[in-house]
Amino acid sequence: MKVLKFGAVWCSGCLVMRPRWQEIETEMLELKTEYYDFDKDKQKVKEFKVSDGKLPVFVFVDKKGKELVRVSGEVSKKKLIELIEKHKDK
Amino acid sequence: MLKRLTVWLLGLVLLLSLALPARAADKVVVEFFHSSTCPYCIKENKFLKKLGREHKEIKVKSYEVSQPYSQRLWEEAGERLGVAVGSVPFTVIGDKHWTGFDEETIGKEIEAAVLKELGELEEESASEAGKLKLPFVGKVDPKTLSLPILTFLVALLDGFNPCAMWTLLFLISLLLGMKDRKRMWLLGLTFIVTSGVVYFLVLAAWLNVFLLVGLVKWVRLAIGIFALGSGSWFLRDWWRNRDGGCEVMDEGKRDKVFGRLRKIVKKQELLWAMLGIVVLAIVVNMVEFICSAGLPAIYTQVLAMNNLPAVKYYLYLAFYILIFMLDDMVVFGIAMVTLKAVGIESKYASWSRLIGGIVMFLIGLAMLFNPGLLSFS
Repeated sequence: MKVLKFGAVWCSGCLVMRPRWQEIETEMLELKTEYYDFDKDKQKVKEFKVSDGKLPVFVFVDKKGKELVRVSGEVSKKKLIELIEKHKDK
Repeated sequence: MLKRLTVWLLGLVLLLSLALPARAADKVVVEFFHSSTCPYCIKENKFLKKLGREHKEIKVKSYEVSQPYSQRLWEEAGERLGVAVGSVPFTVIGDKHWTGFDEETIGKEIEAAVLKELGELEEESASEAGKLKLPFVGKVDPKTLSLPILTFLVALLDGFNPCAMWTLLFLISLLLGMKDRKRMWLLGLTFIVTSGVVYFLVLAAWLNVFLLVGLVKWVRLAIGIFALGSGSWFLRDWWRNRDGGCEVMDEGKRDKVFGRLRKIVKKQELLWAMLGIVVLAIVVNMVEFICSAGLPAIYTQVLAMNNLPAVKYYLYLAFYILIFMLDDMVVFGIAMVTLKAVGIESKYASWSRLIGGIVMFLIGLAMLFNPGLLSFS
């Protein structure tokens, strides 16, 4: 499983989530994450239909790249860890 | 740091609301210079004790003039009042004095002077009763505090929207890529100051419109209905955005502004870059002004209802702008010092929407049903 993080430099909530993810990535070294800029990585944005709704968006995908779950907005560290624990073996 | 700032701001508001009322003023002081061997002094002493029992607010200070310290005070009292001292009893209340004593004449005069001083004291106490004693500030009348608190709340609501900061955050992301710190500060501050000036001018224009048309009933009613709508909009927004996050804005508009910003920041000439930022800040703020849900109009209508001197009107507007720009200044300052872009957690904006929405709603109700409540002066 890996997490695709979609954010933008002009989005305050995305900046708030940055250190939260940094903490999680430091604590869970096995976790794979990829960051996509909303303005630059338009292909991925389109592929995962991120443009409808709010930023930031975090898409959890399995080994085959199939979407498992997604969350958006300012999500708590606790909730993110819960989701990671639940889906980490997929 | 943001958390600390919010705590400070909330603390300030709490401090204003919880401060204890000031104590009443001091007592009426009767200075009584006497000698232990003078029979009139003994009579007056009895009279003053009786007077003291009848009026607890009287404080009699007795000085036996054979004592050097008392002698000095006696002479000083004489100098202060412009009279030669030499005979006792000598009595002083404020700027009045009596030499000798006779209960029928001087006694009555002393009692009348005491009562007069007490009357003034009560008047003063009555005007002091409603005042708050604030640390470092002193005594403040809560009536005069209502308008600053209202200004603070409305400006905070108006300015505290992290999602509306998109231009500044994008500019910060461009500035952080530079190596020249002086240029970073200058360009960023140019944007912030221009935004503040533009908003100040908009507020001033609204204020002057309301001052020009005067306190017309239908304008007040229209603004009242508008405030109710605005309050409901903020409360709805608070309910819908409790989980935070920013709505993705129109791509065309975003690309246009960002494209221009990129070009401006890359300009070699600092002066041209600053001028470009000024123009862009004016355009962006005029467009974004629509997002403020009419708060400036509602606020300036309330301000106009308070019939203040011209200088005070503009000081209030300046205070509004300071609070309005606070989040921008903090975010920019932190980014420039730490060289990292930071965001403000939306829960603070969420709280400001809730409180501000309620305030707007109350302003609307007051404008419609009891406008006198909004005249704080």
